[in-house]
Amino acid sequence: MAGDQTPLVSIDKLRVEFRGEDGPIVGVEDISFSIAPGETVCVVGESGSGKSVTSLSLMRLVEFGGGRITSGRLGFSLNGKQIDLAQADTQTMQAIRGDEIGMIFQEPMTSLNPVFTIERQMTDGLRVHRGQSRSAARARALELLQQVRIPEPEQRLKQYPHELSGGMRQRVVIAMAMACEPRLLIADEPTTALDVTIQAEILALIDRLKRETGMAVLFITHDMAVVAQMADRVVVMYRGNLVEEGPVERIFADPQEEYTRKLLAAVPRLGEMRGKSAPEPMRLVGETASNAPVTPIDVDPKPLLQVHNLTTRYPVKGGLFRRTIANVHAVEDVSFDIPRGQTLALVGESGCGKSSCGRSILRLSEPTSGEVLLDQTDILALSSRDLRRRAWRDMQMVFQDPFASLNPYMRLRDQVTEPIRNFGIHTGSAVEDRVSELFDRVELPRAFMSRFPHELSGGQRQRIAIARALAVNPKLIIADEAVSALDVSVQAQVLNLMMELQAELGISYLFISHDMAVVERVAHRVGVMYLGRLVEIGSRQQIFENPQHSYTKSLLSAVPVADPTKRNIHDDLNFRPIPSPVFPLGYKSKPSTYDEVAPAHLVLQNEVGLDAAPE
Amino acid sequence: MSYILNRVFSMMLTLFLISAITFAVTNILPGDVAMMIMGTQSNPEALAGLRETLGLNDPLLMQYGRWIGGMLTGDWGSSLVFKEPIAPLLLQKMTASGLLVLFSMTIALACAVPLGVWAAVHANRWQDTAASSTAMLGVSLPDFFWGIMLILLFARGLGWLPSSGFVDPADDLGAAIRHALLPSLALGLGLMAHLTRMTRATMTGILKQEFIRVARAKGLNESTVVWRYGLANAVGPVMTVAGLQVGYLFGSIIVIESLFNYTGMGWLTYQALLNRDIPLIQASVFVIAAVVMLANLLVDLLYAVVDPRIRLS
Repeated sequence: MAGDQTPLVSIDKLRVEFRGEDGPIVGVEDISFSIAPGETVCVVGESGSGKSVTSLSLMRLVEFGGGRITSGRLGFSLNGKQIDLAQADTQTMQAIRGDEIGMIFQEPMTSLNPVFTIERQMTDGLRVHRGQSRSAARARALELLQQVRIPEPEQRLKQYPHELSGGMRQRVVIAMAMACEPRLLIADEPTTALDVTIQAEILALIDRLKRETGMAVLFITHDMAVVAQMADRVVVMYRGNLVEEGPVERIFADPQEEYTRKLLAAVPRLGEMRGKSAPEPMRLVGETASNAPVTPIDVDPKPLLQVHNLTTRYPVKGGLFRRTIANVHAVEDVSFDIPRGQTLALVGESGCGKSSCGRSILRLSEPTSGEVLLDQTDILALSSRDLRRRAWRDMQMVFQDPFASLNPYMRLRDQVTEPIRNFGIHTGSAVEDRVSELFDRVELPRAFMSRFPHELSGGQRQRIAIARALAVNPKLIIADEAVSALDVSVQAQVLNLMMELQAELGISYLFISHDMAVVERVAHRVGVMYLGRLVEIGSRQQIFENPQHSYTKSLLSAVPVADPTKRNIHDDLNFRPIPSPVFPLGYKSKPSTYDEVAPAHLVLQNEVGLDAAPE
Repeated sequence: MSYILNRVFSMMLTLFLISAITFAVTNILPGDVAMMIMGTQSNPEALAGLRETLGLNDPLLMQYGRWIGGMLTGDWGSSLVFKEPIAPLLLQKMTASGLLVLFSMTIALACAVPLGVWAAVHANRWQDTAASSTAMLGVSLPDFFWGIMLILLFARGLGWLPSSGFVDPADDLGAAIRHALLPSLALGLGLMAHLTRMTRATMTGILKQEFIRVARAKGLNESTVVWRYGLANAVGPVMTVAGLQVGYLFGSIIVIESLFNYTGMGWLTYQALLNRDIPLIQASVFVIAAVVMLANLLVDLLYAVVDPRIRLS
């Protein structure tokens, strides 16, 4: 692919600064790498590494965010000549953007203008760059929609963005970027906001378009698994600097730099737990303290939590008097047990009901029917006073977004103290001792106690959320996507902390996650949810090594593996869109019936719309 | 369609509540319609007779029923002060004030939208400060101050426009516009300030959205990005605020119309209040409420036109 040709892009000693309150802040310093025609270069790094700044600089869009290219060259080969984009004037840049270089962004939900039709947004670039007539541009837009395999393209052109699903919108955004056949496509985290099956489709699409058109791709991502699947060459960035650059196989097999080794070590790789029955901590290079193997505790055969036939429906209101006109069947006849000191992971894609299930157990969403027993106490029968006093002392929740779940106006000490006082667990000076102990427990310096949430990093904030949950000595912690918003190295640390706490305190977790590779490392048992139902549940080994339900299989096949020698994202996969969980009033859904294919390995027998023809 | 029915139904409910409240309040107020008609020196027996004929001795509920029935059938009664049937009187004055509302809104939007967009594009730079200060000046000084300044400048000083009076557009359109211009400007300045701030806030948010970056990445020029891609998204919110301001305008109109001796709804309401012309007060309040609500309904319907995400069902 790449070779002796002159590079399409050659970035040389790029330095970008941003206006800060106290003088300039360096976004990236001294970045140099090149992209050959037809090559995919992945820039990978954690948040704040400057990877997006680099790509935005190439488009000279960084200036709109308050950035300034202070030195360096952005060589770009245009019509056989090398020009420096860093020096190009506005008109030249406008001619290049969208014509020579196409760009797609992270959020398909906000990448399209909500008040314009798809047609208008797909054609305006063609009309500007190619001077095409309305009908010619429309014809090209149709062709592009077919190329990205959007069904019923004529229909789509007339629609507005909100009428399309997230995956469909990202296809439109890609088609838009491809409109003028750019020689470089910049993809800035194009699949981060998408479900794993849609991610697989989009990755396959980008790869196919690259092969068909011969364009080069600059792929920005934080996800090492995506890098392994997509890259020819990899550029690793850290805090505005280039750490290491090389062919993808070399970077994964033989990383030269300490940081690259750390980053790679922290990435869970689907399949690497094959043959192991107990969870294992994440690998952390250079932090041997928290890398000690977790000794499994003796499992009490009596389950701590028993969920029987849990069903939760949310009303859909409408009409003149805001009556209930339909129901969202969020959780539909779900049953499982969690033994003491063990982790059950609930996995599935957005809208599958996994979060609703967690919330229903705590009665944060009131279940419609079913039974939840915690240590033989019937949670659903408790009065609201007993629910607060007893159930919520034994069960705590850790949420996804540590920004949103901590009160920005309260010192961290007070946030951790609050549950201790509310539940009357300690009084007087014992409270202070307990809080200090909790800070030690989650490995945060005691000096942090008088800080406010905004003074902490994401990982530190999530540790506070865990400390707050631990404050009341819960038996069960429901962790709803608790590590999803964290960078991989931080994610690994927090996961290890959670596993240590489990081993030492015998806590059980209901671990709600969309990330199969993480689940494979931390869970004892795994439940797969689809459209409100548990379609398969079994031990981690049973689910990952011997999946039985067709949905579990397709979910596993869509997960990118962080190993460039195992590329599993091949051609366009076409996963079926998930059907609507809204049912008319009085709809009688059938109870879930399971087939026990192996001891404690259950597979749903009901029809869940997986094999039905797409709409 | 069911959305519109829904809105009309809730509008009717609100109007009913307003009618009940105005009716109750005007009846609690001191003052006696019969005495207003016949004067304080009149014969007590004649007064009692008039009370009887007007039905003022009937239970309140019955009086209310009679009044609302009249309102619904178009029989709005007669004004005590003007000795005229109320319905045609209100229609004429509403036209006069409608002209003011329309003009001041047009002036305000025509200035506020470009100023707000300009401020948003240059957010946190001197242009933004300049625009915000201008807007603040408009908000912090009362309408009548602007009215007086405008009269001094354009009527007394330059002599371009008349300082007071009203001309019916049916008689002489040019003169009607000239007479409406100064009061509209005075009203528009206060409005403009609110709308500038609203436009700035909305546009600042929009310009940070990803689709703006996508539009730039397509190679569209900056004016297309801001004025087409950006502004199209701001129209809805700005329009909503403008609609809410119609209510505020009818409040300001009372002062401004009196200042300019412009005989519209504001002037009429003021006269009705001064003279305890109870039937006229009741009817004016009712009509103003209906007009404000209709304006907001119109805005909500227009919102659905400019923003396809709003489904009217």
